[in-house]
Amino acid sequence: MRRRLIGLALVLLIAWGGLAALINQGILPKLGLDLQGGTSVVLTAPPGTDQDVLAQAVEIMRRRIEDVGGVAEPDIAISGGNTVLVQLPGVEDEERALDAIGQTGQLSFRPVLAATPGNEGPLVTTTTTSTTAAGVTTTTAESTTTTAATTTTAAATTTTTLPPNVDPETGLTLVDDPAATTAYLPGTITSVIGEIPAVLTVGPAQLVGSDVADAVPGFNPSNAQWVINLDLTSEGADKFAEMTAAAATQSQGSPQRQIAIVLDGEVIASPAVAADVGAEGITGGRALITFGAATTDEQAAKDTAAILRYGSLPVAFERSQVQKVSATLGSDSLRAGLIAGYIGLALVAILLLAYYRMMGVVAIVGITVFGALLISTFALLSRLQGLTLTLAGVTGVIIALGIAADSYIVYFERIKEEIRAGRNVRSAVDEAFRHAFRTILTADAVSILGAGLLWLLSVGPVKGFALSLGLATLIDIIVARSFTRRAIYLLARTPLGEKGWLSIRRTAQ
Amino acid sequence: MSFLKRLSRGETNFDFVGRWRLWFQISAILILISLGFVGFRGLNLGIEFRGGTTINSPNATGATIEQLRLLTDEAGVQGAVIQLVNDGQAVRVQTPALDPEVERELIDDVAAATGSDRGEISIDSIGPSFGALILRQSLVALVVFLVAVALFMSWRLEWKMAGSGLAALVHDLIITVGVYSITWFEVTPATVIALLTILGYSLYDTVVVFDKVSELADEAGPKEDYGDIVNRAMNLVLGRSLNTSLSSLLPVGSILFVGSLVFGASSLRDFALALFVGLAASTYSSIFVAAPLLAAWKKGDPRVGSRRPKVRTGRTSGTLAPSRPRPAPRPPKGRR
Repeated sequence: MRRRLIGLALVLLIAWGGLAALINQGILPKLGLDLQGGTSVVLTAPPGTDQDVLAQAVEIMRRRIEDVGGVAEPDIAISGGNTVLVQLPGVEDEERALDAIGQTGQLSFRPVLAATPGNEGPLVTTTTTSTTAAGVTTTTAESTTTTAATTTTAAATTTTTLPPNVDPETGLTLVDDPAATTAYLPGTITSVIGEIPAVLTVGPAQLVGSDVADAVPGFNPSNAQWVINLDLTSEGADKFAEMTAAAATQSQGSPQRQIAIVLDGEVIASPAVAADVGAEGITGGRALITFGAATTDEQAAKDTAAILRYGSLPVAFERSQVQKVSATLGSDSLRAGLIAGYIGLALVAILLLAYYRMMGVVAIVGITVFGALLISTFALLSRLQGLTLTLAGVTGVIIALGIAADSYIVYFERIKEEIRAGRNVRSAVDEAFRHAFRTILTADAVSILGAGLLWLLSVGPVKGFALSLGLATLIDIIVARSFTRRAIYLLARTPLGEKGWLSIRRTAQ
Repeated sequence: MSFLKRLSRGETNFDFVGRWRLWFQISAILILISLGFVGFRGLNLGIEFRGGTTINSPNATGATIEQLRLLTDEAGVQGAVIQLVNDGQAVRVQTPALDPEVERELIDDVAAATGSDRGEISIDSIGPSFGALILRQSLVALVVFLVAVALFMSWRLEWKMAGSGLAALVHDLIITVGVYSITWFEVTPATVIALLTILGYSLYDTVVVFDKVSELADEAGPKEDYGDIVNRAMNLVLGRSLNTSLSSLLPVGSILFVGSLVFGASSLRDFALALFVGLAASTYSSIFVAAPLLAAWKKGDPRVGSRRPKVRTGRTSGTLAPSRPRPAPRPPKGRR
């Protein structure tokens, strides 16, 4: 009896105290675009972009934000001729989400032809070699032989002018095109003092985004680095083997043993092919992109994986017009909804009291425990997972309140049956709990099953709903087991169990 | 004894199963009406599904969402999404595709309300934001969900219960969608969510009822008719079913009636209606569709109750058939 009392007090303390502590810390559930507003961004594609291409881009954006933004529900729609209107709820890392949505995500694996230490391209640093290198760009783009030999033969053409696509100040390629014969991109090379900045001269892409079947972020425990595991298509696997085999023929420490992994013109990694790779190259169709050990690297690995998984956007978008937007539901609607919700809850409370008397009080306290736990969970998930509560999520909660009330009704009805069958109140509440809990578990399992599947399979607003329904149902089971059972057990042992109009026995008769 | 008293004691004596013809006829008519409306009239899909027009205007006068909502309502534009941009410096109104005339009128109204020039207002088309992808994924999720639930119920209860439960579910969904077609309320993403909610609730309700049926069937003697068992279970859980439905319908009904009719929050109406109708249909169908269907389906089966060994010990009131003479209750031990 004492143990149950302590247990009960502990449950109340955890539920109510926990919520109070969270509110005190300013950790509250974040509201979604429809309830609180957020940021609106216009992404503009080049004029004359086909509508089908835009539609394709929007689908990719929707999938990406799913991976990066957790359950923050954005609103993405084609607007006008060549723009996409993205509305994000007030999420913590807006910039990050926008990057994930808008980045083109063009991935290419390119052989490193040469490396120039420092921040300037080879065309700037030495005038003599600039002719040599510049010559490469004047050779026809169709030329597929990209060995160093081509570079020297092309040097015959004497042009001192820089190719059009190279910044004269830095000697770096301005707009990267993976199909271009050569590009000068900032990256790093491995030297005796570790990774040092260098400009990499890279050949045309031998492996591109479409050769990637899947990209999964992960942690490599052997060197404590965040990585992306790339699963290549069978065609991609062959290309990758061929590419690594060619690099493996170069001597150890040569930049040409490196492979540049380029994303939207930026070298995100340039690993050297390991010493033990033989003439067949790296087979098996798996490639690894290593980021680093820092928290920012973890984020970068996750975001980049999301961008790579669904392929590149078919066109490059430019971001313009970042604006703050208000909730789509006016504040009047929201207030009306809240008032109506309170009235509804008050009616439920009256119903429970009238029908179950003292047990109804237990049910009402139990529903506040349920509510406190649910709000706390949402608040924590908002903080940790970027969850936002939309109207759809609130719908899930309202239904969950109904289901929570039902758990009490199923239990109380069972108690009444047991008492009418001749049990005394004390044994009736225990026996009834066994049966009622079995029913609650079966029925709740259906809800959880549904919520889980919707969560796994759906996208967008449906996902937010599934999460709130699933969580609420789970909490319902926990509350039934930890609070309701103890509270009713104790109530049955007070005078209110057997005697008086409010008692459990009188309720049953 | 008053009806309420009997209801509260699980001692009502309705013949749910015997009148199955009547229930099925009612349901069949409702389903036919629903299908007819959806088939011929279709649904009023919101801009989230169909796209429409977006009107961007500066807002020199500081018009509020409520004021603009009045304008769109007066113009007869349903389901407009109205937002303030940059703390009210500008407004964005998204509407479904409009007649050129209505659109011109609305733009003039917006211009007047916000104190802007006609030329300062930009008008663009806007595509669906609840796109084909989301819809497709949700449908896939739905199918997988139904299969999984059928398997779960077959394992936990029995497969004919799974079948009857799913039939009741489809019944609820069709009727809810039908009500949308009849009332011509707008279908928004929130409505779709509400439909999914009904899915979960309908099954939940049916499972509670069937759990009782299977408990009674386990305890029943080998001679008892399955229809009688179902009837007994239904009468026992009737009080619970009505209470539960009330406690779910009260908050939703309050949002629907108090929120949208009294306070005029029309955007809440669309989804509250789906929930309300769906919840009501779920309660009806678990009693009047799922249970009679199960009884009819199992009629030809060999004795059901004897198939499973009786594992339950201890007395449960399940053996007390309200419709038959009650055995004398044990003297209560707790009372002194």
